[in-house]
Amino acid sequence: MRHLECFVTVAEESHFGRAAARLGMAQPPLSQRIARLERELGVRLFERTSRQVTITEAGTLLLAEARELLARSEAFRATARRIRDGETGLLRAALTPDVPGETVAALLAGFRDRRPGLELELRELTTAGQLAAFAAHELDVGVLHHPCDVTGLELGPVLRRDLGVLLPRDSPPARLDEVPLPALTGYGLVLFPRDDAPAVYDDLLTACARGGWTPAAVRHGQGASFVRGLVLSAGAVALAPRDTRLTAAGDRDPALVWRPLAGAPPAWRHSAAWPRGRGDAAVAAFSDAATHALRTVAGARPEAPDRPLHLRPASEFWL
Amino acid sequence: MTDTPSRLRAVFADAGVTGWLHAVDIDTGAQVEAGADQPVCTASVHKLCLLVALHQEAAAGRLDLTEQVECPPVGRTPGPTGLAAMLDTARLSLRDAAYLMMAVSDNTAADLLLARVGLDTVNRCTARLGLTRTHAAHGFGEMLALMREDAGPDGARALADPHVITRLRALDPARTNRSTPRDMTRLLGAVWRDETGPPEHGAAMRRVMGLQVWPHRLAAGFPFDDVHVAGKTGTLPTLRNEVGVVEYPDGGRYAVAVFTRTDRTAAVLPAADAVIGTAARVAVDALRAAA
Repeated sequence: MRHLECFVTVAEESHFGRAAARLGMAQPPLSQRIARLERELGVRLFERTSRQVTITEAGTLLLAEARELLARSEAFRATARRIRDGETGLLRAALTPDVPGETVAALLAGFRDRRPGLELELRELTTAGQLAAFAAHELDVGVLHHPCDVTGLELGPVLRRDLGVLLPRDSPPARLDEVPLPALTGYGLVLFPRDDAPAVYDDLLTACARGGWTPAAVRHGQGASFVRGLVLSAGAVALAPRDTRLTAAGDRDPALVWRPLAGAPPAWRHSAAWPRGRGDAAVAAFSDAATHALRTVAGARPEAPDRPLHLRPASEFWL
Repeated sequence: MTDTPSRLRAVFADAGVTGWLHAVDIDTGAQVEAGADQPVCTASVHKLCLLVALHQEAAAGRLDLTEQVECPPVGRTPGPTGLAAMLDTARLSLRDAAYLMMAVSDNTAADLLLARVGLDTVNRCTARLGLTRTHAAHGFGEMLALMREDAGPDGARALADPHVITRLRALDPARTNRSTPRDMTRLLGAVWRDETGPPEHGAAMRRVMGLQVWPHRLAAGFPFDDVHVAGKTGTLPTLRNEVGVVEYPDGGRYAVAVFTRTDRTAAVLPAADAVIGTAARVAVDALRAAA
């Protein structure tokens, strides 16, 4: 396995020195390991010149499987660790900040029912933060937003929560039972910072434009009281599912109100996600508990693709 | 002033793409790179490899570019342009099929030529030119069939489903036609320096690459009447690519290869198309400033 790790690292760095530094070893033993692996496999993995290392065609063909084997071995070790540690086994999990408290509580309870012996270390992390933590091997499973970079991930069922609008109680659109997006013309939008989930951010603005509303300005904010302040005083509205903490406050808030959006509203799309090949029983238990909690407590629904999709000639492909 | 790789990362991030780029001054060899050795899915960019192989076969006397071929409507590789979109039997020369393949990315024309040239010949051609990381695993119809199989009965609409994106083999460089940005600029440099064969064949290839109709990617980065852009795009769900050559009236000519991937699954993403030109411009400006 260490040989495979050396192979993958050299392939990724295209440089023996950098690869050795990343592996925490000296360069000569790294070169020896690669040479030994090449002898054992009977395949030349790299072309070496005085200045650089390039992976061979054969190496490219083997790289994906090497990565898969490494991931499997890591899952194997993680499971072994949990079995060995019993009561003290640990699953590192994360949720995006928008998952409301009741859903978090239901998830935690559901997970304890499924895996009573296992400790759950649950963190609040943005979608981008979760992807970075997966890459750094610091996270076992998370619930994140789609679309995001799903390369190398496995996913639980994708669920959607329709968005409504949070706006001042005395504003004209608040008098409507359902707010059509064009009725928000002139208002700004309070939205999470784009870096938290760039594709979700861009998709949401596109959905607003498609619905006939281009926000006058986009203000970035996420904390409930900060967003409340912007909505009350800055001529902005926020979009949120019915069940968010902010919305729950809105129900009792004398100054704020939540209204559903008319028509086919934009939605948050979630799923559990974990690195491919590392989904063991504990990860599955978390994914199941999260899916169940989102469905039953947060009212998330499985999604069905329902919109037409017109590929244009510049797409170059046809399905 | 920020360095070029950081600027490239910033323009890619602003447009919501992950991008890999290699740009090289065709005459001095000076280069700019950002992930230039990343294995990437070529998609229709591989039609450039087929074009070069076609001309090498013609130069070797194994086929005649003016030979007329008949293309009946049945059994055509699907696609939205060219012969792939036409309804009736067409009759045209091999070189005109090559024009359609390059100008509008005609999938039927490409597979028609590929049937004549052979996949192995294309791979031998790229290998001989030193493109060690470039490989054609299948033809264009076969690639689309794989995608249809992976997407399932919902067709193109299923491409918005993250599960479908994770299982599309056509998006995995290990399992489909692949290359690297550096390999592609090497190929472009060879075509522009007439290293792939007789100069009349080089001129013919440069001509059809200059006739590509798409204005939204590489060309969008060079909105200057006196700058010539020739290229070949490639597109698959979440992937947008273009490789090409930008020529300035002072003689400066630059081979640029840009491959991108979006997290968004939407088919229409103008910013993701345009950033190919924006990034290429950043790279070309850096090469010109250093010269």
